[in-house]
Amino acid sequence: MRTAIFHVDPGGRGFWHSRLRSRAAIWLGLGAAVLLLGFPNRLAAQTLEVGSDEPEPISNSTNGLGSWIWAAQTFDRQTCRFWRAFDLPATNAVKQARLRMTVDNEYVLFLDGREIGNGSEWREIYVFDLTPLLFPGHHVLAIKAVNSTSAAGMILGLQVELADGQMIEVKSDLNWRIAPEEAKRWEKRATAPENWVAPIVVGAVGVLPRWTLPQNVNRMPTLMPLEIRFWQTGWFQITLLVLLSLLSLFSIRLLAQLAFHRRERLLLERERSRIAADIHDDLGSRVTQLVLHGEVAQNDLAANSLTREQLERICEEARQVLSSMDGVLWAVNPERDTLRDFTAFVCCYAEEFLKSTPIQCRLEVEPEMSTAALDLPLRRNLLMAIKETLNNAVKHSAATEVLLKIHWQGQKLTVVVQDNGRGFNPENATPGRNGLTNMERRMKELGGSCRLSSQPGQGCRVEFAVPLNATRRFSLSWLWRTGHFTDPPPPPKPAPESAPPSHDRL
Amino acid sequence: MIASKPKTPKPSPAAPATPIKVALVEDKPKVRESWIRLINSFPDFSCVCACVSGEEALRAIPAAAPDVILMDIFLPRMSGIECTVRLKEALPQTQIVILTAMDDQELVFMALEAGADGYLLKRTKPSDLRAALLDVLRGGAPMTSQIARRVIESFRRKAKTRDQTVHLSVREEQILVLLSQGYANKLIADKLELSIDTVCSHLKHVFDKLHVSSRTEAVVRYMASKTPQP
Repeated sequence: MRTAIFHVDPGGRGFWHSRLRSRAAIWLGLGAAVLLLGFPNRLAAQTLEVGSDEPEPISNSTNGLGSWIWAAQTFDRQTCRFWRAFDLPATNAVKQARLRMTVDNEYVLFLDGREIGNGSEWREIYVFDLTPLLFPGHHVLAIKAVNSTSAAGMILGLQVELADGQMIEVKSDLNWRIAPEEAKRWEKRATAPENWVAPIVVGAVGVLPRWTLPQNVNRMPTLMPLEIRFWQTGWFQITLLVLLSLLSLFSIRLLAQLAFHRRERLLLERERSRIAADIHDDLGSRVTQLVLHGEVAQNDLAANSLTREQLERICEEARQVLSSMDGVLWAVNPERDTLRDFTAFVCCYAEEFLKSTPIQCRLEVEPEMSTAALDLPLRRNLLMAIKETLNNAVKHSAATEVLLKIHWQGQKLTVVVQDNGRGFNPENATPGRNGLTNMERRMKELGGSCRLSSQPGQGCRVEFAVPLNATRRFSLSWLWRTGHFTDPPPPPKPAPESAPPSHDRL
Repeated sequence: MIASKPKTPKPSPAAPATPIKVALVEDKPKVRESWIRLINSFPDFSCVCACVSGEEALRAIPAAAPDVILMDIFLPRMSGIECTVRLKEALPQTQIVILTAMDDQELVFMALEAGADGYLLKRTKPSDLRAALLDVLRGGAPMTSQIARRVIESFRRKAKTRDQTVHLSVREEQILVLLSQGYANKLIADKLELSIDTVCSHLKHVFDKLHVSSRTEAVVRYMASKTPQP
């Protein structure tokens, strides 16, 4: 970061940069917030109900059920983790798959590690339509069954009908395995370790004390296979999160820089005010005093004495110094940074400059000029370009009238310098000689354009158009040019055909 | 109050019987002395009153009843702008000319709004100074294209907001627009087929209207522009 205030953006170019920056920072922050808030929603699974409405008759509900099974020991508040893998032939598509089950007293059912349903009434049967979820290959059923008091048991029957009519059944029987309590992610295991024991049969279907027919058949909502879009994958989400955090950090950084920059600008402005006051109060009034003393001294001398002439010359020189100081003061004073002041200055300059020539100066300026700040590079380059054009008109055009137009619309400033002189053919003009390339370079620096149109005998018209918000050619360059975005622009090359020194105020 | 030097002007054939009375408000002693000597060196002018501050000017100048007051714009405490407003209330017929060290159009316009009848750079040559003073006394209004533009702007802004009581006539606006386009008074007179005196009197009216409508505003604006300076 910079410490010397004089290196900081002397004209206010950074003003727009800082506007851009603050906007960028705010938008980045907002975007991050919205995305972060929306995040949990993206984790929600996609479920879809496609259940057919026909109720299954209760008498059918015991079809294909196995026996009641449970762990070898039964006690109250016991959790029993049943696990069973099965394979569906790869050559055959699944036509229909239906699972019926219940647990005394509660259960949670997993298929291939994913929870697909639960129930808590042992007297009723729960029917799952697994058709969309079962595809040829290896599958795992897992049931987390809980017994609250006394007798316990789990009963289940899965009937898978394949396309060729073949039926595959999975029932609650001794082929199941019980995962021990300490097993982790047991419902997601593809194979059962050796130490997982088989259950025991605690009762057959329809045998007391358990029901012969269930009191009710619950049709469970049909689940569709989970489609995982790329934005739902964990990696994507983590990447996004990291990206967002980086963006947030970046915008915080920008905001911090902005605050710093504002402070710098304030300091600079104060410093400029101070210099302006110094020039005005000290230098200005002293030189003025000098002129006055000189004038008074002249009065005391004889009309044609040599000393009087010399004094007159000194006074004249001091007047020139004062008029140059006017320009310096105008440039330094931060209160004169506006478009209106610029316009007034340019008009004054043109009138003064053309006064000593046979050319009449006409002005066409919008009366209501903006008080918007005009940054220094823009002011300086534009003034130089106008000076050069006026100079060319005086030197080459042989015109009787020069029109200076300054218009301002939206964010665009247009300056036209037009003469009624003899004109020339722009194609025949040697490039660089008429200063056009120089002007074009100046305008390009400001992100604007310079157009010259002329014809022999038709006068010459030069139009400068510059954007006021100073969007430069590399408008995004501040993103990586961190820390020194307030670089002062390179010192301007003096105009080759400059105006008389007393007017060269910038 | 510092009395002017009792330097009786040499009787010259061009000098009128009673010289034009000039009052001066300037805080720097040396500058003030130079000004007094300069004014008294003109055969037809005499400095009758010189004050060091705006407060003193308000006390002493009405009694001296000068024809024209030269007022420094930067004065300690009461600014030249505020002093102009108050003196103009007390002595509406007296011409007030603002003196500035630096050529700053913004300040000049504020002074004109405050009621000044003209402005002069302190570095003006004595011969030009005399001509300018005579011009002001004859009723000439100090107009440049920039000031004309600012006057138009000021009246348009007021028309938009509230002040409908003071507005420019069509002719006055016509003249101001031509002025703002860089035409000299004489060319304007030709263009509009008026006499040059008519153009000048129109401009004088414009100034009177400007004073009526924005006198106090100018003081407020001047104060606001002054505060951020250290």
